[in-house]
Amino acid sequence: MTGAPATIAKPVVAPVVAPVVSSPSTELPMVSGPAVPFLEIETLRAREFIPAAKESLMALMTEQAQGKVIRPTFNWAGRNSLFPLHWGLACCAIEFAAAFGARWDAERFGVVPRSSPRQCDLLIVNGTVTWKVAHKLITLYEQMPEPKWVIAMGNCATGGGPFRTAYSVVPGVDKLVPVDLYIAGCPPRPEALLDGILKLEELIRERGE
Amino acid sequence: MEPNEVEARLRPVLGDRLLSVDPFVGTAGKVRFRPEGALDLFRAVRDQLGFLHLSMVAGVDWVDRREVVYVAWSDTVRQYLMLSADLPADAAHIESAVPVWPAANWHEREAFELLAIQFDHHPDLRHLLTPEGYEFHPLLRSFKLHEPEELEVKTRNV
Repeated sequence: MTGAPATIAKPVVAPVVAPVVSSPSTELPMVSGPAVPFLEIETLRAREFIPAAKESLMALMTEQAQGKVIRPTFNWAGRNSLFPLHWGLACCAIEFAAAFGARWDAERFGVVPRSSPRQCDLLIVNGTVTWKVAHKLITLYEQMPEPKWVIAMGNCATGGGPFRTAYSVVPGVDKLVPVDLYIAGCPPRPEALLDGILKLEELIRERGE
Repeated sequence: MEPNEVEARLRPVLGDRLLSVDPFVGTAGKVRFRPEGALDLFRAVRDQLGFLHLSMVAGVDWVDRREVVYVAWSDTVRQYLMLSADLPADAAHIESAVPVWPAANWHEREAFELLAIQFDHHPDLRHLLTPEGYEFHPLLRSFKLHEPEELEVKTRNV
């Protein structure tokens, strides 16, 4: 540990500045001979490398490269690490909690509930949404960074459920935010929630590519 | 505590604003009073009869009139006491019980939004269960169950 950095660092220090600064535009010999010191060759190669690398990087940043490299990479990373908002509304939240417990363990799919909407990309609406809480739900949804997805879990979030005609219940959370996936059940079992999350991952892959 | 004892102790305070004290199963009695004497009655019930705890505030819609019912609890005699007043349906308002029992705050807000009973001098008479700007009073008998598409609730301009 102590020996290795010392031997490498020694030749770097002294002769770096002189050739580069004194002759910025002269043509330096391409062939490495005994007359050319080691570090001059290194700087020469770097000079030729930088424009070429710049050019290829610009090519990489074109739209085609984005479609073939960057977007699929982000899509792959995003769909395998869905962070839902840790927000429980009604009895579906019990099943939501059970899905992240030891028995079903949704974390093996990369799904980790987070407590802040700014760290989330998945909103699982688990329960009855009343008009009183509606604008809070919209605020939470708007605080989440793009790209984001919404799962309506259970009959209440899907269409109001048994409280559809009640005076205080939103008849389906898709009246408030765009919903990507609906999970039926009253409440759905944790297996159904896991199935929905896996289906959402397929959906994200189809949309991204 | 018996209903006649309650009446004997409340009559000097309220006079003819106290209508009657009837027996009611499981309680010390049901006091019927005119809404003008609300605050005096609440003070007398709390300070002289010792009903320190307000258990709940209820409301009933009788179509021709509205009834508001306060249920107070006494730890010394371990009994409830019901205080009931009839309010006209077209202008249902009564003095707020918050100066006497602070626990009445949220109960009166609920009765206000669900039954359209106005509580005068309430410190914070906002909606409790429904959003601000909600224009229905759902526990009135004139309120019909809606198809959800007919119930337009503004959520954004809160």
